[in-house]
Amino acid sequence: MTDRVLNTSIAAILTAVVVVVGLMLASVPKTSAIPAFSRKYQTSCTTCHSDYPELNDFGEAFKKNGFKFPKDDESFVKEPPVLLGSKAQKEAFPGAVYPGEIPGSVPVAFRYSGNFTYNAKQPIAAGFLPRTDLFVPNTFTVIGAGSFGPTLSFWVDNDISADGANAAAALGDGYLKVNDLGHVLGLPKDTLNLRMGQFELDLPITQARTINLTPYDVYSQASIAPVSNTACVIAGSPGGTPCTTNNPLQFGIPQRGIEIGGYPNDGNFTWSLAFVNGSNNGDALRNSKDVYMRVSQRFNLERDPESRNAVQAAGPTGPHDHTSLRFGAFYYYGRNALNMDGSLFPGFGTVHETFYRAGGDFRFKYRHFELYGVGMYGHDQDLIPNTTTGLGYLRTSPVTFTGGFAQAEYWIHPWVIALFRYDFVDSPTDFSNGISRYNTRNRFSPGVQFLVRANIKVAFEYQHRWEQPVTLGSGSTVFFRPNGVVSGIDYVF
Amino acid sequence: MNLRGMAVKVAVAASITLAIAGTSWANEIKGKVSVQGIKSAENIAVYVDVIPDKKFDAPKDHVVIDQRKMTFIPRVVAVQQGTTVDFLNSDAVGHNVYWPSISGNKKLAHNLGTWPKGEKKPFQFNDLGSVPLLCNVHPEMSGYVVVVPTPYFAVTDKDGNFEIKDVPAGKYTLKTWSEDGKPTTQAVHVSGATATVELTVKK
Repeated sequence: MTDRVLNTSIAAILTAVVVVVGLMLASVPKTSAIPAFSRKYQTSCTTCHSDYPELNDFGEAFKKNGFKFPKDDESFVKEPPVLLGSKAQKEAFPGAVYPGEIPGSVPVAFRYSGNFTYNAKQPIAAGFLPRTDLFVPNTFTVIGAGSFGPTLSFWVDNDISADGANAAAALGDGYLKVNDLGHVLGLPKDTLNLRMGQFELDLPITQARTINLTPYDVYSQASIAPVSNTACVIAGSPGGTPCTTNNPLQFGIPQRGIEIGGYPNDGNFTWSLAFVNGSNNGDALRNSKDVYMRVSQRFNLERDPESRNAVQAAGPTGPHDHTSLRFGAFYYYGRNALNMDGSLFPGFGTVHETFYRAGGDFRFKYRHFELYGVGMYGHDQDLIPNTTTGLGYLRTSPVTFTGGFAQAEYWIHPWVIALFRYDFVDSPTDFSNGISRYNTRNRFSPGVQFLVRANIKVAFEYQHRWEQPVTLGSGSTVFFRPNGVVSGIDYVF
Repeated sequence: MNLRGMAVKVAVAASITLAIAGTSWANEIKGKVSVQGIKSAENIAVYVDVIPDKKFDAPKDHVVIDQRKMTFIPRVVAVQQGTTVDFLNSDAVGHNVYWPSISGNKKLAHNLGTWPKGEKKPFQFNDLGSVPLLCNVHPEMSGYVVVVPTPYFAVTDKDGNFEIKDVPAGKYTLKTWSEDGKPTTQAVHVSGATATVELTVKK
């Protein structure tokens, strides 16, 4: 296909997309499809979401309050819950089951997202990749969430489809949360909560509920030792011995475990401490458990003192998110284990490699603008089987990486959001493993999103990626950028 | 009793009777609005249009519209031109009130900003027309202020019934405003105590 024909095809496709978006925007809405919380409160998605699934200040407060309105929740509920025992049953406890409640109607929502991708031409030696692909990734998610009374809340989501860059193709989050457990101990409200099950860690910037079409690169970073054995040598040990680091942990994938945390002071301060399997959203692969902790502090910069203490700030044209700056720090520690069955390194016993991830984050909000970012350092102990003695392991250079991202968002209109994101991962071992041309992998992703309706979105994202090597049949190595455009539709109901 | 004395007594009695009769015969326009192609006959404003050579002073009493449970209450009010409406926030969430136009005139758009629970903000409506009330935090909220030229107006109940009280005798033009229906016009002659009108609002 010639460039002219290709350009015409692309132009035709883009024109069709623009026309479709225009028609969708021009049509007069008669009804709004509404997910579970919208149905419960008979309110629009935009009450809690600035660009779903991203939450505004009210949505954050709603979530932290156990998926209930921060104040006077009962007066806003349009679907009363079903009581599983009258309130007087509390007095009969423990002679009776403690009374609870379930949502009045099944709190289920559905989400579909399907993307159109346009891929830059890549050398055939890197594998055939079609230039365009309609509605891939394709993800259908079922979400159920709500509260079981004043102190219990729950969330379950499952990606039914197998595709989706952010899709787990399985259970995403599935947890039960005890809100304000600290009340029992006489602590201030929301100082201590407890969450159990499978959940996204208290990440500095959520990936599960990101508005981006692709995940953050540093969140997908796993630590793999250099493949080349010649890189895995230390003084005095014979060459040709493999390094052992093979840590599958990815920061952005949900974990299974128990988390305690809190957000006292109206959520200005947050803290969390989680004990997890460390095997992402799979079964435990080792005996040890990992620990993750995070703290953050928000500095509320609203001038009006009364408005500063409200859930949303008062503005001349209506309530809006507080002007604020939040700083956070996080630390993840674990001890990976390999070769428990001796299949990898026969005779050498189990490999125990400690690792950690540490970093910081910030988030700045001002009116229609947001800027946030994360920086992370990863460190995995790397060992080599001690072939000299035939027993145990020796330390070699650790597998390390640094990475992070920064993203800016601007609401041109409440329904048009411009984005720009920069990702980077600096991984010497990935470089030695031939993943990139240089140690540092950079990605630039400008994008724009249109809220066609409060529950329907059309999004565009261009990705300018790092150079990747590919070896041709002649044996020479060339580099190419797997750039691409991702666009798609997304709707919830 | 002489004739003169009797005549005076009769005249006085007649005057008193006529005065009482004049008071109890406060005229009103009653009626019912039926609809075609519209879901409900509720919240339709019915009002007497401009009366030539007749001007009315702006009322001193304020009208209150509340925001409670994320709803404008009442949802539709009719007010005489020049009336001040107090917008009260009874919710524990942030609200605001704004309108993008008055009867489609975007130059008359206005935003009242934000105020906390328990407080109210006044606004005097001096421009005739329908004012669509919105909240920019909760887009499902909507209400209307219908600003009319005379003090003779009402808003229909859920069955479409209305009563406009204290209407002087005379010939008038009755008009309707409906969120979903087209305006209607009908002549009405108020001569007796009650003038009964049947109106139809169509989509």
